[in-house]
Amino acid sequence: LQKMGVNFTVSNKDTVKSSDVLFLAVKPPIIPFILEEVGPDIEPRHIVVSCAAGVTISSIEKKLSTFCPTPKVIRCMTNTPVIVREGATVYATGTYADVEDGKLLEQLMASVGFCTEVEEDLIDAVTGLSGSGPAYAFTALDALADGGVKMGLPRRLAVRLGAQALLGAAKMLLESEQHPGQLKDNVCSPGGATIHALHFLESGGFRSLLINAVEASCIRTRELQHLADQEKISPAAIKKTLLDKVKLESPSLSMGSASKVSLFTNKS
Amino acid sequence: GAMEELRVGFVGAGRMAGGLARGLLRAGKVSPSSILASAPSDKNLDAWRESGCRTTHCNLEVLQESTLVFLATKPHVLPDVLQEIRPAVGSHHIIVSLAASVTLQTLQRLLPAGTKVLRLMPNLPCVVQAGAMVFARGSSAGDGEAALLKCLLSSCGLCEEVPESYINIHTGLSGSGVAYVYLFAEALAEGAVKMGMPGGLASRIAAQTLLGAAKMMLETGEHPAKLRGDVCTPGGTTIHGLHQLEKGALRATVMNAVEASTNRARDMAKD
Repeated sequence: LQKMGVNFTVSNKDTVKSSDVLFLAVKPPIIPFILEEVGPDIEPRHIVVSCAAGVTISSIEKKLSTFCPTPKVIRCMTNTPVIVREGATVYATGTYADVEDGKLLEQLMASVGFCTEVEEDLIDAVTGLSGSGPAYAFTALDALADGGVKMGLPRRLAVRLGAQALLGAAKMLLESEQHPGQLKDNVCSPGGATIHALHFLESGGFRSLLINAVEASCIRTRELQHLADQEKISPAAIKKTLLDKVKLESPSLSMGSASKVSLFTNKS
Repeated sequence: GAMEELRVGFVGAGRMAGGLARGLLRAGKVSPSSILASAPSDKNLDAWRESGCRTTHCNLEVLQESTLVFLATKPHVLPDVLQEIRPAVGSHHIIVSLAASVTLQTLQRLLPAGTKVLRLMPNLPCVVQAGAMVFARGSSAGDGEAALLKCLLSSCGLCEEVPESYINIHTGLSGSGVAYVYLFAEALAEGAVKMGMPGGLASRIAAQTLLGAAKMMLETGEHPAKLRGDVCTPGGTTIHGLHQLEKGALRATVMNAVEASTNRARDMAKD
């Protein structure tokens, strides 16, 4: 990041003081403690954007309200492909965030992919779908490549072709008015290779597995939120973890299904 | 017009023949007196006479009196019937066979050379004029015969011309498909009974649900996946129900059924 010209500091306070839009990109259980630390420095101009899975707007607003009466909070859920500017991002605005604040964030995140506003109660579902989604795709691609290799393709070519097939299919769907079921039909000539293959997928309950996956990820996100609300992890344990593990690490990527580009490090 | 002068004969007077005849009469395509049906006993023929159709016990008479002749006997009886009527078959006849596993090749072999032969595969709901039918033409049947058949049979439901190779697939899809639908309807109703609804009511609602959904598919022409999506409100009841169907791999099971029935039809045709 420093090579890209990004300013770098070990002080959270400095980060807050020199910013207008503040992305909180720490692991979810750490959010409350960071908010305690930077709360006094939050001013009316700040837009606090949390990307932490399972951390509600109201919990952030509650923590900040002891320092600032009307903190502008936006909650955001994105995914790893922001790295290649094909992210899928949603955001929900907090009580004191204006329409312009939301639009500003949308502009920023739209530069790295798709971005739209949603009601906060949908964010867990988004986590299950597009937050975790890249992992489902990587798993599928690995397996598709195995299939290619089994049938004689070199691994690298198999990976390349599999990825391109998914990329192309996704692009077709995004650019088409048609239902994915129709697009699927368009590929299946009667009695042909594709329909034989699809029958295997159906026999294996492919669709149901994907539905289960999205559901499981969404439910787990809600569980984690519930745990976080209870602030079960002791502050001492958090600090110890930070000191030991983070000191030598490069900018942190959050756990869970979403990974965010950290523009600000959080070493203490 | 020419249609009303058309004389239609049925060799065999069972359910399917009766259904087709009823469709033709209801649509006013043919008058009752233009229809002649033959059967070995009177058992099946009473209903035909009540509709005003003429009946006989003599298959040859049907050939002598009719231009368009439907062969609606049971398949195993058909070869003998063909031998019997062969002397009376002429170049003016249009012979339409309903026999499931009897190919055009066999039909043409057992009838005089140059006979206009077509093969029809209906399904059971033809008897209520909501059938799905496909037909294939033999080597001497032309566009005129195909158009005539399609026009007449559209009064019994959906009627499409296909290559002969599709006929067994139609059997697996729609001939047997009717039974799959009955099974599905029964299961829907049982689910409702489990949840507390009386069986008779559940059954009627199940049937109407299938009818309504099918009607929407046919009338809107929209892809069923899209229609399905239209019914699924986010986080609602329907998507929960559908998830159960996907967990049970219903789609694959249905594909298996169509495949098994089609393969069986193909095997039987070889026998």
